[in-house]
Amino acid sequence: MPPLNWADLHLTLIAPELWMTLLSCIILSIDFIFPKFSKTALAYLSIAGMGLITLQLVGFALGGVRGSLFNSMFVLDSLAIFFKIFILVSTSLVILASIDYLKKVPLFRGEYYYLILFAALGMMFMASANDFLSLFITLEFSTFGFYILVAYLRDDIKSNEAAIKFFILGVLTAAMIAYGISLIYGSTGTIYFREIAALPTKNSVGLILGLLFVFVGLGFKVGAVPFHTWVPDVYEGAPTPVTTFLSITPKAAALAIFLRVVFSTFGDIRSEWTWFIAALSIFSMTYGNITAIAQKNMKRLLAYSGIAQIGNILIGMAAGTKMGGDALLFYMLTYLFANVGAFAVVIIFSNLTNKDDIEDLAGLNRRSPLLAFAMLLFLLSLAGVPPLAGFIGKVYIFAAAVHQKMFFLVTVGLINVIISFYYYLIVVKKIYTLEPKETTPIHLSMPMKVVIYAGIAGVILLGVWPQPFIEFSVAATSVFTGLAAR
Amino acid sequence: MSASHLLSFILFMPFLGATLLFFVSNQRRAIVQGIAVTFAGLSLAGSIYAMAAYDFTKGGFQFQESYSWSKELGISFFLGVDGIGAPMVLASAMLMFAGIFVSWHIKDRLKEFYINLLILGSATIGVYMSLDLFFLFFFYELSVIPMYLFLTIWGRHTKGYLDMKKAGDPLSDSVAHFFNFNRSSKEYAAMKLTLYLSLGAVVALMGLLLVYVDSGLRTFNILEIAEKGSLLKAKESLYFWLIFLGFAPIAAIFPFHSWSPVGYAAAPAAASMMHAGVLKKLGHFTIIRICFFLFPAATQQWMPIIAVLCVINIFYGGLVAFLQKDTKFVVGYSSVAHMGYIFLGMASLNLISLTGAVFFLFADAMAMGLLFALAGYIYYQTKTLDIPSMRGLVTKMPFVATCFIIGSAASFGMPGAMNFIGELMVFLGSWKIYPVQTVLAALAITITWAYYFRMIRAMFFGEPDPKMAHLVDARGWVDRLPLVLLASMTIFFGIFPAPFLNVIQSGVAPIIARMEAPASIPAPAIAAEPASLPIDAIPPAAEAETKTEPADAAASGGD
Repeated sequence: MPPLNWADLHLTLIAPELWMTLLSCIILSIDFIFPKFSKTALAYLSIAGMGLITLQLVGFALGGVRGSLFNSMFVLDSLAIFFKIFILVSTSLVILASIDYLKKVPLFRGEYYYLILFAALGMMFMASANDFLSLFITLEFSTFGFYILVAYLRDDIKSNEAAIKFFILGVLTAAMIAYGISLIYGSTGTIYFREIAALPTKNSVGLILGLLFVFVGLGFKVGAVPFHTWVPDVYEGAPTPVTTFLSITPKAAALAIFLRVVFSTFGDIRSEWTWFIAALSIFSMTYGNITAIAQKNMKRLLAYSGIAQIGNILIGMAAGTKMGGDALLFYMLTYLFANVGAFAVVIIFSNLTNKDDIEDLAGLNRRSPLLAFAMLLFLLSLAGVPPLAGFIGKVYIFAAAVHQKMFFLVTVGLINVIISFYYYLIVVKKIYTLEPKETTPIHLSMPMKVVIYAGIAGVILLGVWPQPFIEFSVAATSVFTGLAAR
Repeated sequence: MSASHLLSFILFMPFLGATLLFFVSNQRRAIVQGIAVTFAGLSLAGSIYAMAAYDFTKGGFQFQESYSWSKELGISFFLGVDGIGAPMVLASAMLMFAGIFVSWHIKDRLKEFYINLLILGSATIGVYMSLDLFFLFFFYELSVIPMYLFLTIWGRHTKGYLDMKKAGDPLSDSVAHFFNFNRSSKEYAAMKLTLYLSLGAVVALMGLLLVYVDSGLRTFNILEIAEKGSLLKAKESLYFWLIFLGFAPIAAIFPFHSWSPVGYAAAPAAASMMHAGVLKKLGHFTIIRICFFLFPAATQQWMPIIAVLCVINIFYGGLVAFLQKDTKFVVGYSSVAHMGYIFLGMASLNLISLTGAVFFLFADAMAMGLLFALAGYIYYQTKTLDIPSMRGLVTKMPFVATCFIIGSAASFGMPGAMNFIGELMVFLGSWKIYPVQTVLAALAITITWAYYFRMIRAMFFGEPDPKMAHLVDARGWVDRLPLVLLASMTIFFGIFPAPFLNVIQSGVAPIIARMEAPASIPAPAIAAEPASLPIDAIPPAAEAETKTEPADAAASGGD
């Protein structure tokens, strides 16, 4: 291994992460040096900081700043920029959605924002991880913050239970990934993605077995069946804003790594792994959607719907083409707005009633037409109804799979669209037809309004004018040079 | 490409109206009603102009507009109407306009009702004018969800639901066991309708994606696929069946019809008008537009099966309608039966019968619109649609009774109404090809007479029921306008059908020509007006053609 050459080191490439570190330290310092400092102001400060970092990343994207650092352990390419922007935007939305909720949490309200930023920082590193070692470290780095965040309601038994489940399974996952990496290293003698990609033959048992272990670990992180068991309980127990965060951002970051592993490192032995991803996808969609029908709790419903959505997303990965990758990234964008929006409505309700049952949403249309309409749009976008974002995402991802002649996968996916219609529409029915138990109008605070409007704007904009976002995704997957176009 | 923005004007006016309505308070009914009427009216005016200005001597797709939407996926927003689309756009705009007056008196959430109606209207219009498979599907899917909201929010429970509730056991049938709502509840009707149609839609989506991928053209443009899609010849039957089975449920062909009568019965008047009038016809229209136009050989091969199914539709629909006790169920099943006549006309695949079928589509839209509007008005007055509990309504509401009789007469094919001409042409065209089916279908008209006369007698004549003494006739212009509009359309164009027939024939002729000589004339519709195709990134077509040549040669050699 060549020694690190400090002269070649361009810290510009890692600047977003450095700023993020600085930002989280500032937030933490302000919180403990000035305990009287308003926590809401801390939240806005974090969002402003992340906004600036996002601007820098946009500058990178437009200015063509690319490169790798530390012997290409850390890479900044268009894929990394896509996911970093995604992570920062979703984290900002989550922080906005947390402000109201956190007013009811008695202790450590400042540290909450610090932990969120800290987890986001880990995930930004994940988007850039370019070897198996940094894959492992960044994955654990980002999960670390979540262990604490899930247990944030320390007097709530459900929150504690969720944290313990999350922790034990998370550690188990880490062990699996580490074992897989050791197998890969043992059979190839390297941990760098590019060196593995350059190997002439990749059919050694150790490599395939190791790859499977890594897949299992990443499957846990994205919550795909049969590695999903933690998802519903953790989603239900965790504080709702944390659930929102958990439901979108770590999945995106894990998918970034997943894509790098399967598309650029093992892109040429597609037939060896595509069946595995396709099986994950089929199980996730079917199990997620069917189980979601029986749910009475909105967070659990969204958890199972999230499992099903991951199944849809994995269709794009199973296709194993550049078009599949484009579709996957575009789908993630559509999922971001619909999912954060739907969770924002749940947050508003758990602020109001301290519960998150579907029954509580009954008659929402009478109490707040805006909120009811927003929820309608978010659920229909998740279901994939035009002219909303989810429809384009689904058509795109199915088209990618049809190109690869994966008819069984597409058929299962299409049947699942129908199943998902059922439970989303049941919620719609409750919102619009039932009479509310309470008739007091719901007042929305400013930050919640911003989140809801951002969600509405996102699902409609991506639905009626997807071209710029598709181009953004297409540019991001241009890093996968060895893939078939479609 | 063309300077005409007529079609996007027709399409987007209702959308614009719906968007504006979001910003109006529900308390200000006059403004809500005003906005809805204005924008639906603008759309109607545009579609009347499109129909009048359509040049049937030239034929082909006119008023084309095309905007690139996604280069990556080869989707363009491509609008254009031919002789089949133009009348159906007019029918949709007309029923939407009439529907706004019909639902004038709705008390609960009128604004949301109009938003739904306008979105439904423009989605239907969008299907009728899309020349891009993606947008055709886009608007088709878009039309399903407003129906769900109509049924669940403003719908009514059907049949004996309320009696069952009184008996204290509201959830006591097999459906309830599984779905947690009763077979007669509006929720059941709504969910059944949505799931049926969505299931059809995903089957169709599979077919459309296959066409998109297998054509190798990277485009959803229908005209381009028709012209260059030679690679599709190999598996035409597969595409035909996927797309047919995808869109046939919405056309209520047996055995996929069961969502439809219960759906109409549960829906509010304007929604049933739209649904029976134009939404259901989306099925026939998309089958003609996609299957007939793109896959002429498979269509010829498989339509005989449809010719059998349609007779079942006619008899089954008719006999069930005879037994119904609810006005909307009678009209709903009669609509299922009428779909059979249209499918018979389509199955015969000749100029007269297909023209007749398309004409019948328009005629049925008017008649069904009229009947469901009246059923809605009667329900609004009497709070029941149960036929046995109504008697002698003619003394209280002569105007409504007159219109109802006109609508029924049109529906059972009285000479002088548009439906008569449509039916006659279907029979004339089908006689040579399917004599048995034609005779059976013609005989079944007697069933139609029977149940309509029975319903009219029971509802309007006889000793007036004292309980119905409070009823008032449709008096104001708001109540009368939609009825007069639809009734006069039916009668006027029943007597002077030529303008419609000319336009429809110009749309049908190229399809039939393609059917009869698929090899020599690739796409006459395009030949009539060469469309400058919007997508320039086309993969090597030459390569595609060279590949298929041996197959073609083998096929012609085999012949």
